[in-house]
Amino acid sequence: MTSTFIRHELKAFWRSKNTGKSIAIRIVMGLLLLYLFINLLVLGLFLNKLLEQVFPHDDIVISFCGLLLLYYLIDLFMRLQLQELPTLRVQPYLQLPVKRNSLVQYLAFTALLSVFNLWPFVLFVPFILKIIATDSGGIVALAFIVSIGGLSLFNNYLALYIKRKANLNGWIFLIAAAALVLIGLGDFYFNLYSLRKISYLFFGRLITSPALALVPVTLGVVMYYLNFLYLKQNLYLEELGSRKAVKYKSSTEYPFLNRFGVVGDLAGNEIKLVLRNKRSRSALIMGLLFMFYGLLFYGKPGPQGSEGFKVFVGMFMTGIFIINYGQFMFSWQASHFDGLLVNRISFTDFLKAKYLLFTIVSTGFFLLTTPYIYFGWRTLMIHFIMYLWNIGINTTMVLFFANRNYKRIDLSKGAAFNWEGVSGNQWILSLPLMITPYIIYFPLALFHHADIGLAILAATGVIFILTRSFWIKQLEADFYTKRYKIAEGFRNK
Amino acid sequence: MIEIKDLKKVYNGVTVVDVPHLEIKKGESVGLVGNNGAGKTTLFRTMLDLIRPEAGEVLAKGENVAGHENWKNYTASYLDEGFLIDYLTPEEYFYFIGGLHQQSHASVDDFLAGLNEFFNGEILKKGKYIRDLSKGNQCKVGVASCLLQNPELLMLDEPFANIDPSTQFRLKSLLKDLNKNKGVTNLISSHDLNHITDVCDRILLMEKGKIIKDIATSSSTLNELEEYFGVGQTISVPIKVDEEENH
Repeated sequence: MTSTFIRHELKAFWRSKNTGKSIAIRIVMGLLLLYLFINLLVLGLFLNKLLEQVFPHDDIVISFCGLLLLYYLIDLFMRLQLQELPTLRVQPYLQLPVKRNSLVQYLAFTALLSVFNLWPFVLFVPFILKIIATDSGGIVALAFIVSIGGLSLFNNYLALYIKRKANLNGWIFLIAAAALVLIGLGDFYFNLYSLRKISYLFFGRLITSPALALVPVTLGVVMYYLNFLYLKQNLYLEELGSRKAVKYKSSTEYPFLNRFGVVGDLAGNEIKLVLRNKRSRSALIMGLLFMFYGLLFYGKPGPQGSEGFKVFVGMFMTGIFIINYGQFMFSWQASHFDGLLVNRISFTDFLKAKYLLFTIVSTGFFLLTTPYIYFGWRTLMIHFIMYLWNIGINTTMVLFFANRNYKRIDLSKGAAFNWEGVSGNQWILSLPLMITPYIIYFPLALFHHADIGLAILAATGVIFILTRSFWIKQLEADFYTKRYKIAEGFRNK
Repeated sequence: MIEIKDLKKVYNGVTVVDVPHLEIKKGESVGLVGNNGAGKTTLFRTMLDLIRPEAGEVLAKGENVAGHENWKNYTASYLDEGFLIDYLTPEEYFYFIGGLHQQSHASVDDFLAGLNEFFNGEILKKGKYIRDLSKGNQCKVGVASCLLQNPELLMLDEPFANIDPSTQFRLKSLLKDLNKNKGVTNLISSHDLNHITDVCDRILLMEKGKIIKDIATSSSTLNELEEYFGVGQTISVPIKVDEEENH
């Protein structure tokens, strides 16, 4: 049965409207992964030398054991952001004589096919073979490898479990990520405890009693089983669609948008779209999470923090919604795109509404970042410059890419098995958005003209804002050459 | 009102719509019938500039629909649920559509009050988003939003398919009233031969993308159509194959 599913998935991939784009993304991803693989392999091979240098006073085995827990915490954090949920459109199989267990097994099992499960082995096995096997013998080395496998398994399924839950309720993601950040801060910022000591507590003991390796394995298996059960319980159409429509849905209005006429109506509709659909709402809540990125990167208060980071983080914090939500434009409206086309809406208004929406949300996010004034006035100024950049250039870029997006998103379908939101692929698409400000800023900052760099960024942003109507015309002309293709792609379920 | 010239739409080498000439005059009530795959919806979509034809053009009031938007001012259409913004409540959707035609909330409310019977208490103030309504009720929302626009041209694709019998009869009388008393040009497709011959003065029969019959409705029309869809099918097929090969 599993092989049939795989065949169907392959067909779905090759026959999808966006195959060309997906392949291009996959190739870029593949190259990046290869690069990462080589880096990690080198790092793994020289880990013993590295540990000697970083912790010259400690025994390298102790340092190594201390490192492991930290690695898995970071691993979990990265997985939460980047790992993709395996998807299979289960609905067509549910009424067929296919065992539920085999459906769920397929979903749970393919989840293991993630590069994240490769990294710990690449990174740690060379060290284990070189140092631990020679010091403590083959059995202990085996125990270490098994523990690493078990913990990877545990992290793999824990991350997926959290992500599945987060699909239904975006706050869960926020809480999980915040908890991880707090655990990290508890050690490195507040010095309440030492993660390295805790880690050594377990792995140090593994050297004396290798049988303890069963603990991580058990944890992994339990997590797998939890995932399996959760999937199995949620394999009902009702829950896939998650329609429990008990609450009275009242009509809302945004009086503040009334002054913009039709553009305001359209923007109002889109705000409702964001708030009333799980997936788009998650994109917004995810944006709130990014408000804490500054805390992670800026470190100590005062003007000494690196400004290059602030440009990056500032763009992220004020523009995350543009990147996260704009990424999938106009797919969000795929299910009623025909309706938009035949109604009396000019595309100019349609685009203006997008600009209005982005401006509103970015302004909100910018206001949320004002507490960062704690890190100095300049920080806030950089945020403001990046805010200008975002509503000037990134909005235009996102809309340019939106004209090239033909893939339907079915918002009405439940999110639990339909997660295209936060995954590695998305970041590839947003690469041009993130790199462009650096092309301007970095060369100048390198030669100590950072202020000129910032001024140019701000000026470019303002120029784009002032010339919006020009860009709207360009985008409109571009749209008219592509709209049949877009509409057809969106009709394609 | 509408003129179609040499319209042709090809999907993967198969011609799905091929209409050399068709004219629909203002105030006509035209029904479109044909089996699945005859090209009814595709024809509608080309007329609404949703898909690009390989050849030919659709003129609305003498102006090509592709590349112009004036037709949107007087055309209302409902083909499928894809026309509805499904995360809005019906009221919000009506206000939105009304707003596009410069109607205030109050005038929209007034208009909707007149449709109470048609809605049968299923649509307004139910506290549901459009996506939570049944297909039939979604159809009611779609049809009502069309009427709200005071169109000169009304295009509906299979409006009778999902709605209950009472609503079917109410919809029929609504359509007749619009056509006879307000001069609205109707273009309606349906699989229900009884309804379509009842509502429309002119029936277009489509087969494999071509309009093979264009008849003014009379007492014998229903029989003629039933014959085509019932027994007539076996006779007409070999003839069609020859025509396909001719071009």
